[in-house]
Amino acid sequence: MIQGSEIEAMTQPTLEPKRASSGAVALTTSLLVFAVAVAQARPEPPQASPSPQAAAPASKAAPAPPAIRFQEVAERAGVRFVQTPRRFRDRHKAQVLEMFTDGGASVAVGDYDGDGRDDLFIVDSDEGKLHHLMHNDGVRDGVPVFSEVTASAGVGGGNDAHSIVADALWLDYDNDGRLDLYLGRFGTPVLFRNLGPDAKGVWRFEEVSQRVGLTVFGNTIGSIAFDADNDGFLDLMLANYFQPVNLLDLKTTKVLPNNLDYATNGGGVTFYRNVKLPDGSRGFVDETKRAGLSAHTGWSLDIGHADLDNDGDQDVYVAGDYGTDRLFLNQGVDASGRVWFKDATEDAMGGLDTRKGMNVDMGDYDRDGWLDIYVTNITDEYMKECNFLWHNNGVGKDGRLTFTNLSKETGTCNTGWGWAAKFADFDNDGWEDLFAVDGLRSGGKGNYIPLLLENTIIKPGVDFSDLDSYPDIGDMTWSGYQKKRLFRNLGDGTFKEMAEAAGVANLSDGRGVGVGDFNNDGRLDFYEGNARQFSQLYLNASETAGHWLELRLQGTKANRNAIGARVYVRAGGETWLREINGGNAYSSQSTFRLHFGLGAIDRIEEVEIRWPGGSTEILKARDGKPPLPIDAMSTIVEGKGVQR
Amino acid sequence: MRIMLNTSKVSTPSTTAGSRSGRILALALSVVMSVPSLASAAADAQALHKQGLAALAARDWKVAVDTLEAATAAAPDDIVIGTDYRQAVIGAAAAAKVLDPYNRCVAFFEKLVVDHPQSANAFLNLGFANVDKIPAEGAITQVLLANRALTQFGKALELEPSWLGYYSRGHAYLFWPPIFGRVEAGIADLEQAVAISKKKGDRQAYYARAWAALGDGFWRLENIDRAREIWKQGLSAYPDDPELKARAGRAERAELDAYLQAHYDTTVRVATSLNEIFGDRLAPAPSK
Repeated sequence: MIQGSEIEAMTQPTLEPKRASSGAVALTTSLLVFAVAVAQARPEPPQASPSPQAAAPASKAAPAPPAIRFQEVAERAGVRFVQTPRRFRDRHKAQVLEMFTDGGASVAVGDYDGDGRDDLFIVDSDEGKLHHLMHNDGVRDGVPVFSEVTASAGVGGGNDAHSIVADALWLDYDNDGRLDLYLGRFGTPVLFRNLGPDAKGVWRFEEVSQRVGLTVFGNTIGSIAFDADNDGFLDLMLANYFQPVNLLDLKTTKVLPNNLDYATNGGGVTFYRNVKLPDGSRGFVDETKRAGLSAHTGWSLDIGHADLDNDGDQDVYVAGDYGTDRLFLNQGVDASGRVWFKDATEDAMGGLDTRKGMNVDMGDYDRDGWLDIYVTNITDEYMKECNFLWHNNGVGKDGRLTFTNLSKETGTCNTGWGWAAKFADFDNDGWEDLFAVDGLRSGGKGNYIPLLLENTIIKPGVDFSDLDSYPDIGDMTWSGYQKKRLFRNLGDGTFKEMAEAAGVANLSDGRGVGVGDFNNDGRLDFYEGNARQFSQLYLNASETAGHWLELRLQGTKANRNAIGARVYVRAGGETWLREINGGNAYSSQSTFRLHFGLGAIDRIEEVEIRWPGGSTEILKARDGKPPLPIDAMSTIVEGKGVQR
Repeated sequence: MRIMLNTSKVSTPSTTAGSRSGRILALALSVVMSVPSLASAAADAQALHKQGLAALAARDWKVAVDTLEAATAAAPDDIVIGTDYRQAVIGAAAAAKVLDPYNRCVAFFEKLVVDHPQSANAFLNLGFANVDKIPAEGAITQVLLANRALTQFGKALELEPSWLGYYSRGHAYLFWPPIFGRVEAGIADLEQAVAISKKKGDRQAYYARAWAALGDGFWRLENIDRAREIWKQGLSAYPDDPELKARAGRAERAELDAYLQAHYDTTVRVATSLNEIFGDRLAPAPSK
C-alpha cells in the first residue's frame, strides 16, 4: 500500500457526505472572510477594556484570567448526586443489557414555581430509585442553594419493575401557566401535571399519563417538546433507542443493533400531537405515522428542534446511534389537518452517515442568521468518527436547504465518546461557546475494547443483534476517564478548547448538561449529570464576562413557554439570534430564558420577537430610551410587550 | 486451470526460485494441454486490459470497470490487471457516490479466489479490494474490512511468500491501534519484507517502503529510538527515498507524531495502485 495515486487525483474518494464540495469550499472561504470581518469589529468584554480600540495591554506581572472560568459547587449547592443506571439483576446477559442502557443521567432546568429562579429536576434510573426535584432557594454565601422537594411534590417515581426513566422535560402542556413535568422512559411515558401550591404553599403535582393519552410503549431516551403545528400547544417528539420490546421482560436475546454502522432495527421516533380531549382538557395522540415519521427505524439517541430553514415552523434533527442521523423538515399542516415532516437528510446533508450520533443542539455559532447543528459522535483511539458541526448554508436559490460539516475546520471534531453538548455564550462576548461531556465507562485497568473486538466485532458469522454475542464487561474500562471539552468561540469561525483553564476538565462519565443562570448574575452556569458518579454544578466565575441580556418570553396565542419563539437582538450594527427550545441536547433540558452575551455593547437598539404561529413584535428605542435594559432579565408577554 | 498472463509488466512477487520454476512448469504444462484456450485467454486479457486502461484514462467508469473486470477474470493471477480493475472501481464509486462498485469488486474477487484457489495474486487483490472500500465505510465496517484484508493477505502469503505480500500485510497491521496487539505482527511481517529485499539485492526503489513502515511499527509501540535507527539504516540503502527522509528529517517528536498520525489516519484513503512497483499504466507511452 503506497501513498499517492492518480485515480485519487481524479476522483472524490469517499462516499461520506460530509466532505466539502467545491461549492462548500467557496462557502467556507466566504465564511472565513465574513468571520474575519466580524472578528475585526468584535467588541471586547467591558470589564477588560471599554472598547476594542482602547484595549489595555495585559499586565506583565499577573497573567490575564481565562476568558471563561467556573467553580464547582455541587456539594455546597446541595445538588451532588450519583445517578445509577438500571441494573438488570438476575437476568440473562445483565451486564450487556446494562452497557446498552447506560444513559439516563438527565437533568431538566425550569422554574416550576415561577419565583424567578431556575430549579433542577435530576433523573435516576435504577429500580425504585427516586429522582430529585431541587428547588432553587436563592444565593447563600455566593452560591445558589437548592432544597429537595421531591417527596412533597410527588414526582420521584417512575423507576418501577417494568420501566426505566431515562429523560425529563419541563413543559406547560395545557397552557395553564405552570410547568408540568414529563419523564421519558424505557416503558410508557409519565406526565406529572403541576397543580400549583396547596393551601400551605407546597407545590403539588399529579400523575396524568394515562388520562392524557401517553400510553404508547417505547424505549425512549431523548425527548423534546415543541409546537409542531403552531396551534399554540406543545407537542412531544420522542427519540426511541431500542425497538419497542420490554428489556425487563425479554422474550428473545436478539434485540441489539443489527448492524453497527447502518442499524435499522431501532425504535425510531414517536410523535405525540397535543389535542383537545372530549372533556375539553388537553392530551396527546400518537401521530407518528400520520406525520410521516414511521419509516425511520434507527436507534435514535437524541433529538433536537429549531427552525432550520427560517420558514416559521420547527424542524427536527434526530441523532442515530449506529448510523443514519435524520433531518425532518416541517411541512406544516395539510388539508387533512395533519402536520407532517419530510425526510430531507440526503438532500440537505449530502447523504446518510454511519456515525454514532449522540447529541443534538442548535445554535447560530457564526451569527449568519441560520441555526447550525452540533452532533457528537465517537472519537477515540480505536474509532475516529469526529463530531458533526453542521454549518447551515441556508436555503439556496434552488430552494434547497443545505449543510456542510465544519467540525474539523472549527476545531470541534473531537469530544471523545460524546454525550451532551450545549451551545452557550459563557463569557458574554457575543459568540456562543460549546461545552461537551464525554466518557462511557470509567472502570478498572482492563480495557474492554480488545475483548469486544476479538469476541464480537471480527468474529466470523457473529450476530450483532444477539445479547449472547457480547462478552461481559466486569469492571473493565471502555472509553472512560475522558476530559470534558469547553470550546470557546473565537468569533472567527473557529473555537479554542479551554476546559482545563476554565476548570471544567473533569473525568466523569458525563451524560446530560443543563444550562441556566442559577444565581441570576447574568453569567450562564451548568449542571452536569454523570453515570454512576457524582454530578457537578459549575458556577460561572468568569471575571471578564461582557454585558448581557436575558429574556423570559410568555406566549398568549403561542404556547405559554414560547418554545420555538425566535428573537433577534440588534445593537451596534450587530445582530444576535436565539430560539427557545424544549429539550435540545442529550439527556438535557436547559433554561427557557434566552441569554444574549453582548460584549462591550451597553445599549440595545432593537428586539424583534417572532412568536410561534407567525406574529412578530418589534421593540425599538423610543425617545432615546433603549427598548430593554442590559445586564438585566426582562419578561415579554406576547401582544403585551415588556412586563417590568 | 491456472492461467498466467505472459507479460513483462507482471513481475509477480514470487521470491523463491522453486516457486518461480514451479509456476513456469505449471504454465508450460498448461500450455501444452490447452494451447489454444490459454493463448486466447491471455490475448483476451491483454486486449481487454488495454481497452480498460483507455476507458480509465477517459474516466469512462462503467466501461473501465466492466472491461477490466473481464480482463481480470481472464487473467486472475495478474496482479497488475486486477489492480487496475480496482482503481476503476474506486473511480466509479467516488464518481457516483455509492458503495455498489466496491461491493461488486469484493464479490468478484471472492468468487475469483474460490475459482482459483492457488492464485496468490487474486488473494492479494481481494485484500486490497477490502482496503479500497475502507474510507467509504462506517467505523465498525472499516474494522471488519481491515480484518478481512489481513486474512486475504495471509492466504496470499501462504501460497507464495513475497515482498509485496509481507509489506502489504505488515503495513496493514500498523493501522490497528496498539491496544489490539497487532502492531507486533506487523513488525514481524515488515522484517520479512526487508529480509526478502536484502536477499534479492536488486535495490528496487520501492523496497525502501518496508524500511519506512518497519520503523513506523516501532514508533507505534513508542520505541522511537529503534524507529529512528531503522529509518537511518533504510536511508543508508535508499538515500533518496522521500518517505524515509521525511521520517528521519523530523527530529522533533511532536512533528514526527503529526506526520505519522496523518499517514495512519484511517479516514484517508491508502493508495493501492502499486504504481511504484509496476509503473504508471496510465502515463502516456514514451515517444519513439
